[in-house]
Amino acid sequence: MKQPLYIKAAVAISPQESFEDSKFLKPIITSNNGKLFAIDAAYQQYISPVAIRRMSRIMKMTISCAMEALKRATVATPDAIITGTGRGGVTDMEHFVKDMIRLEEGAMNPTAFIQSTYNSPNGWIAMQSKCTGYNQTYVHRGSSFELALQDAQMLAAETKNPINILVGCFDELTEDYYHIRRKRGYWKNPAVASDQLYKHPELKGTIAGEGTTFFVLSNQKEGTFCEISNLKIVYRATAEIIANALQELLSEENLRVEDIDIALVGENGDSTQALLYEGVSATLEGVPTLRFKHLCGEFDTASGFATWYAAYLLAEEKSPALRRRNLVLINHYILGSASLIFLKKTSFLEATF
Amino acid sequence: MPEETERIVVSGMGLITALGKGCTAHLAALKLQKSGLRHPKILQTIHAAEFMLGEVQLDDAYMMSFLGIPTEKKGYSRTTLISLYGMADLLDSVDLSWLQKQEKLAFINANTVGGMSTVENLYMEMISDRIDEETDQWIDTVDCAESTEFVARFFGLKPAMATISTACSSSANSIIVGARMLQHGLADVVVAGGGDALSRFTLNGFHSLKNVDREACKPFDQNRNGLNLGEGAGYVLLERESTARARGANILAILSGYSNHNDAYHPTAPSPDGSGAVRTMLGALEHAGLPPESIHYINAHGTATLNNDHAEGLAIQQLWDGNPPAFSSTKPFTGHTLAAAGVVEAILSIVAMNEGMIPPNLNWTTKMEELEVAPSTLPKEQNIDHVMSNSFGFGGNNVSLIFSKA
Repeated sequence: MKQPLYIKAAVAISPQESFEDSKFLKPIITSNNGKLFAIDAAYQQYISPVAIRRMSRIMKMTISCAMEALKRATVATPDAIITGTGRGGVTDMEHFVKDMIRLEEGAMNPTAFIQSTYNSPNGWIAMQSKCTGYNQTYVHRGSSFELALQDAQMLAAETKNPINILVGCFDELTEDYYHIRRKRGYWKNPAVASDQLYKHPELKGTIAGEGTTFFVLSNQKEGTFCEISNLKIVYRATAEIIANALQELLSEENLRVEDIDIALVGENGDSTQALLYEGVSATLEGVPTLRFKHLCGEFDTASGFATWYAAYLLAEEKSPALRRRNLVLINHYILGSASLIFLKKTSFLEATF
Repeated sequence: MPEETERIVVSGMGLITALGKGCTAHLAALKLQKSGLRHPKILQTIHAAEFMLGEVQLDDAYMMSFLGIPTEKKGYSRTTLISLYGMADLLDSVDLSWLQKQEKLAFINANTVGGMSTVENLYMEMISDRIDEETDQWIDTVDCAESTEFVARFFGLKPAMATISTACSSSANSIIVGARMLQHGLADVVVAGGGDALSRFTLNGFHSLKNVDREACKPFDQNRNGLNLGEGAGYVLLERESTARARGANILAILSGYSNHNDAYHPTAPSPDGSGAVRTMLGALEHAGLPPESIHYINAHGTATLNNDHAEGLAIQQLWDGNPPAFSSTKPFTGHTLAAAGVVEAILSIVAMNEGMIPPNLNWTTKMEELEVAPSTLPKEQNIDHVMSNSFGFGGNNVSLIFSKA
């Protein structure tokens, strides 16, 4: 869908030092065991001491990330909150299932049950930011973040009034999850170092990751440097369908291939899945291309981190002389979905987020 | 979005709950005041003798054979089977080959715990070091999108897809998102709804919150004591009015208004003064451009928990200034079908509207002390032009839908 969403703030908690932009990739954080865990932030700054005690890590991470995004956008109360998550509160789910089995359905503590509910972070964020507006949670695997973005595009188009939409995503990595999905052949075995991810095509699979990302998005351009301009969600991805979606996007944006300044692609080191990018690679020949899954690992909402990274790259682009303003993000997920997100630099004056 | 937004119509409905399959079975049960609640026979739980549940009275093997799936096949969670069954009911009145041909079809599904009904029995095996091909076929059913993808694939559909999870309002949100996708031209035909199967996970979850009644639930009654969980699936076909009329579709209702708001009050409890429910119902009325008095029936969320009925009752009383239209909760018939509840009750509301009948609020005897108003307790013939269906969920996720006569 073509509909601009202007980025007022973008915050990522990821396996890299992304929470503070100035530290990002200085240096690149790596792991050797096939798992990239997110670096925790100072969650107690964002959540009351009473509430934080019983919260699982993903709840703390998600709420803190959302509240920081609102703070940076200087928006106290957003007009809407929309999130996407492939797996929700996995730790809480595991906790409750195991308790139920161990206690043979005896007296159980409800906290894990409540927090395992996929919309639980949304409810908390609404409560903390006093947002009684539109509230939605998408749970569709590798399309979860994209569906949240698409909903935000619809909301932005539905009003002529200024609107601030908090859009985010969250997914966590647990030992159980890693173990279970290993049986499905998700991960390289033996595991490879994250900075060597693309150098072992002989091993099937990828490395696991996690993280949470939040954006404050608006239909108002003023004071912003960058917009999410176009989004294509692909459900039954093949190289051809992804390549066609890119052509469609270029024509909707009235751009030629040479107008694209940066391509950010979601190749994850699995040589069979890399075939999905063959069509777009041919189209984008000569366009500077970056990969990102060695930074965040593979997970359902890795495209959320990648969108943050895209905005970061455009923010870093301080010189109008370089004229790098058009970025296309192309991602796929293991279970067969893909997406294309087009970001456009709109101002070289406002270069921070 | 076009300047003038087009009306969205409902041109197909299908459902399965404890009352059986299809609108006819549901209407008959409402008229006969015949509840589908029972002690579970299919869900294997130590609480079986303790709790009444709205269990779909078909076991997995029966549903598989009805759907033409060899019963030895693995990987079909009960959530998926119930969702397939609900879709099969929709397809009794909607031509599948027509649906398969749609180039801009969207399938918006809803779900709260994915295939947990099966996963909870295999979990320790899954996390063990043993590689067991049979068990491992269930791994992908852990997530919520599995049933969505499965239903689309099974019926040979190639839709844009979304799965929504906002607790008890999930499938009411599917309807809203589907309608908006039609208005934005992201789809020309939408199948929207949701499905959930009973699981020990949710039963023990609600039990740990002390929210489950041991007997049949009593919505809006002074002595109400919690909810009965249920299972089911429902799907509606949504189209823009012009496309539906152009193809001569049988238009069952107009989706004339909807509203989605958050309570922003508490993780599991509604705002006690009912302000969240008022905001949501008012939002739907404003969106529909209808005054409160035009609503002839409210299908309440009415879970029969202490908190919900208190807040929702106060909100209804306040918004209609002490003189509300007939209202009832149909949860004593079906149980609380969680992700399916929104669409199931939307369908029951449309069935009631088209039949000209107020569905009864079963098991009600004593007026709530805090309320001046009381639900409609017997099936009553009455003209209904506009009906409101409420879904208020955990996490403060509230939705109201308004349907009008076609």
